[in-house]
Parts: sequence; C-alpha cells; structure tokens
Amino acid sequence: MRHVERQVETKPLTEPVLLILTSLANQPRHGYALLKDIEGLSGGRVRMSTGTLFGALRRLLEDGWIEPFEQVDTSRQKQAYRLTTVGRRQLQVELDRMRQLTRAGFARLRASEAI
Amino acid sequence: MKRAYQFMLLLYPRDHRDRFAEEMAGVFEEARNERHYQGWAWYVRFAFWETAGLIGGAASAWLDRRPVPEASVSGAGHRTLPQEILEAQQRVDRNIAGMVHAISHHDYQGARRYSDEERQARENLRMLRIKYGLTD
Repeated sequence: MRHVERQVETKPLTEPVLLILTSLANQPRHGYALLKDIEGLSGGRVRMSTGTLFGALRRLLEDGWIEPFEQVDTSRQKQAYRLTTVGRRQLQVELDRMRQLTRAGFARLRASEAI
Repeated sequence: MKRAYQFMLLLYPRDHRDRFAEEMAGVFEEARNERHYQGWAWYVRFAFWETAGLIGGAASAWLDRRPVPEASVSGAGHRTLPQEILEAQQRVDRNIAGMVHAISHHDYQGARRYSDEERQARENLRMLRIKYGLTD
C-alpha cells in the first residue's frame, strides 16, 4: 500500500501559523472570527492584518493542514476553515515541544533561585 | 477605503486573487467597521497596518509561487534542460524579482507591468515544456 501520510513538520511553527491552528482547534472559523479569536488568545498582543492572515491560510491549505468547511447559509466571503488530521497532529507536536521547553525553563529558574 | 483595499489586492498573483480576494475584502470590511468606532487614531493605525500587511502578503505570495528549480526536484537528477527552457525560466524569475522589488518600493504600476510580463513569460515557459515533452 502506498504510504500517503504526510511527514510531520519538525521546524518550529511561526507565530501566525501557531495561532491560527490553535484558534481552529476547537471549532471551524471564518476569516474575521479567526482575527478576533487570535486577538483574544494572545491577550490583545497580536492583531493580525488580513494580508498576514490570508497568506498563512493559503500556505496551510496548500500543506493540507486546514481545509475549507462548508457551513449552511454562508457566502463566499464567510468561508470557514477547519483543522485536518495532519494539522491537528502538527499542532499537537508544537504544543508538546512548547510544554517541554516551558518545563525546562521553569526547572532552571527554580534551580537558580534555590542557589 | 474599501476601493483602495480592492485596488491593492491587484498586487497579488491572479490565482491568489481568484481564491481569496472577495473573502479578504469581506474580512477587511468587518475589521474596518469595528475600528471605525474606536476613533480616528485607531483607524489610521489600522489603515497603516493593513497596507503593510497587504504589501508583505503580496510579496510573499509571489515568492511562494516560484517554481521549484528542476535540479532541486528530488529524483529529477541532473538532467540537462534545453537552453530555450532555461532562458524562459530565467525570464519568469527576473519578472518575479522585479515585481517584488517594485512592491517593496511602492511602485504599484511597475508591479502590475511585471505581473503582466511574468504571466506571458510563464505561458511561454509552459508551451516550451509541452514542446519538449516535459509536462508533469
């Protein structure tokens, strides 16, 4: 059988990509909902422009990490997107990497405070 | 302002525009309406941010569009391409480089001219690849 499963990206994800994947982790969202959710997720720190958002969406679609999600009663302007299985795995890998880094960072801080 | 935004969308490659322009304009409009009620200072900052995002996004879209060089394609080996094809590929690359340079210097008329020339060059390259039996 031909092996069609995509390889997991090992490089760290860029911040826009990480935020988009995180935003789509619990439900499909369209462009403006993504912008608003990302702003909330980042505590107001990240206000993505439409150019940045759709550049990242295009690459994610091409890589097969997200896919269009057809919703009832929506126009083309309200195209929603959702994570694919590959995208979900990429997000999981990135979050695991961040968790490891966070643990290591806190451990070193505690160790230095104990000295 | 929406018209200016739609005009600036012309900086993007045609395939990107066909796929996203309407959607981008819709999202821009929603975001603009929200900013509009937050005062002029927010509005100016928003307009600047969106313009910068569009220029960067268009440049990135053009760069991402570059075809993979033949020699770097896995498994393609080092087969020699006909000179005609190499020159046609170089014309495409030169036009893309010119487009990115024009966009980064806010020369939108120049960018559109390079865009038209790039489209012609790419079509010429496609015909040459068919002629030499190099279609995928």
